[in-house]
Amino acid sequence: MSGVSLSNIKKAYGPIDVIHDVNIKVEQGEFVVFVGPSGCGKSTLLRMIAGLEETTGGTIDIEGVDVTHLEAAKRGVSMVFQSYALYPHLSVFDNMAFSMQIARRPKDEIKQKVDEAARILQLEDHLDRKPSQLSGGQRQRVAIGRAIVRQPKVFLFDEPLSNLDAELRVQMRMEIARLHNQIGATMIYVTHDQVEAMTLADKIVVLKSGSVQQIGSPLDLYDNPDNQFVAGFIGSPKMNFLKGIVNEPRVDGKITITLDDAPNTTFDITSGSATLNAGDAVTVGIRPENIGLEHDETVGPTVLLKPEFTEELGGVSYIHTQTKDGVRVTIERRSERNRIDQEDLQVTLPVRDLFLFDADGARLR
Amino acid sequence: MRPKSKNNKTLTAILLIAPFIVCYLVVFAYPVYKMFAMSFTDAPLIGEGDWVGLENYVRMFQHKLFYTSVYNTLYFVGLTVVPNTLIGLGIAMMIVRLNGMVQAGILILFFMPYILPVTVVTQIWQWVLDQQFGVAQPLIEAVTGKRISVFRDPLWAMPMVALITIWWTNGFNVLLFISALRNIPTDYYEAASLDGATRMQQFRRITWPLLWPVTALVLTLQLIMQLKIFDQIYLMTQGGPFNSTYVLLQLVYREAFGRNQGGYASAVAVALFVLIVAVSILQYQLLKARGKS
Ligand SMILES: Nc1ncnc2c1ncn2[C@@H]1O[C@H](COP(=O)(O)OP(=O)(O)OP(=O)(O)O)[C@@H](O)[C@H]1O
Ligand SMILES: [Mg+2]
Repeated sequence: MSGVSLSNIKKAYGPIDVIHDVNIKVEQGEFVVFVGPSGCGKSTLLRMIAGLEETTGGTIDIEGVDVTHLEAAKRGVSMVFQSYALYPHLSVFDNMAFSMQIARRPKDEIKQKVDEAARILQLEDHLDRKPSQLSGGQRQRVAIGRAIVRQPKVFLFDEPLSNLDAELRVQMRMEIARLHNQIGATMIYVTHDQVEAMTLADKIVVLKSGSVQQIGSPLDLYDNPDNQFVAGFIGSPKMNFLKGIVNEPRVDGKITITLDDAPNTTFDITSGSATLNAGDAVTVGIRPENIGLEHDETVGPTVLLKPEFTEELGGVSYIHTQTKDGVRVTIERRSERNRIDQEDLQVTLPVRDLFLFDADGARLR
Repeated sequence: MRPKSKNNKTLTAILLIAPFIVCYLVVFAYPVYKMFAMSFTDAPLIGEGDWVGLENYVRMFQHKLFYTSVYNTLYFVGLTVVPNTLIGLGIAMMIVRLNGMVQAGILILFFMPYILPVTVVTQIWQWVLDQQFGVAQPLIEAVTGKRISVFRDPLWAMPMVALITIWWTNGFNVLLFISALRNIPTDYYEAASLDGATRMQQFRRITWPLLWPVTALVLTLQLIMQLKIFDQIYLMTQGGPFNSTYVLLQLVYREAFGRNQGGYASAVAVALFVLIVAVSILQYQLLKARGKS
């Protein structure tokens, strides 16, 4: 059975369409992350699933029931807000017990459920405190506890970690992953941080301007992005993009390309598309870890880069460079530590690791 | 040199606050002291009197009009303070649900009476409630079956003064409540509605407790203001009919300016002062206890 399924979902605020025809299927027990840049409609989509926002078109199903026009409370979903939305005048216990008190559940049942949630989240010692007396991470846990107590069919998280500092964010990320393993509920999680998406998700939905760009497992998106946007969004540091031009399409499915930054060399590459003509603009993509620091023309084109600065992280370092036209290129290096300063670098872009996109960003290879 | 610069600073500070201190002493502290002092003398309105000890107070406690005034003042407070606060809250809750310009427009409508001077307010209402031409009379007639000259009817006079006072001052309370309501994040209501709370439950469990500090403030401000009721009464009923709207400040006014009894008027003023302090402290303690629970 599917946990949540969105079919042809649309949302308009007055004349402005913010969600266009979104189709997503979330399996029961799956952890799905919606990721995309700010303003792409992630929160709107999540709030529509929660029932906090009207759906303009399409249908939302939760565990086989059409909930499109059902009020929020009856959908069986819990939401963890970015601001936590903890009631400041209530103790941690009362915050977590709120939904059950509203439903007039018996006192001992409430206590048992809240205690259990508190145990899972290590909040037992703080039940009498007010939210203002807790740290950011503890508040976050209370907000999650409030969701757990309701035993919802679906958990919704809207950027729950964005108010925490970096270290705590990593820690809470692991706790959420552990929680998901422990209770096995369907979870939908919104973030604009692709690292969070990669580490937590069973399945990632990449959104841009209200449209789904691609849906797939984290590694799927990494290895096989459908378009230049996904390729650039997933992965840290970002994929490098270099502009080029098609010299000649050939009958054997290969094309010959000249990079703008290496006008004197051409290379052949297999392209999935037969519609390219000589003179068409293309974009070549390569991940930072695939760029070869040694000069080897037999594996692919070589490009001259001017190093700007290097981030040394110990095990790995990132060399930030520019081409002569000012296009930024990041190179990842492991284990070697000799410094590369100022002198220009002649790097190799192995053809087998190259991605190819047409002028509109669609993937050709 | 440190000590010297410190002295300099102290001197500057004294110079800077001196005008305020002088003003305070001249126009506030001295008259207050004088009032307390006068209440133990038989002074007329102008000039000194002789020390008479507690005689003014003894007389006050034997004065029937004093008890009537205390009763009426408290009656007026009861008719205005809580209703004015609740009405303000109700109107504010309706207005915050509107958006943008509509909200601003309606808010201005409700706030408008507050900027009117009391004389204009009483003129308007005397006209509205006039027995012969008053636009409100058909309504009164529909309810009671007859036209009533409300300011000449002991049963109607005080409630009408209270109603007019609420109409006049309510906008300010609405304003305070609106700013408090706007400070409650919408997330709370969204979280609560996901938890299945009805509008009524949301109000009882979220809005009301979070609003409590402002409600307590509004109640206290109202209480102090309404205990000092005078202007509306002076302009509309002069304490009548049959002393049914006679209030404490009215009594002070009558004794001081009507009967030239400065000492006795001071004693009544002291009584009002004590009443305000006592009721305010009582209310503050009650509100604090409520806020904690
Ligand atoms: N009430 C509204 N009226 C009009 N437009 C709105 C409204 N709420 C959101 N939008 C628009 O809808 C789009 C999507 O907003 P949404 O909040 O879903 O973005 P988001 O992906 O969650 O971004 P972020 O990462 O910044 O939270 C935005 O362009 C926003 O301007
Ligand atoms: Mg958002």
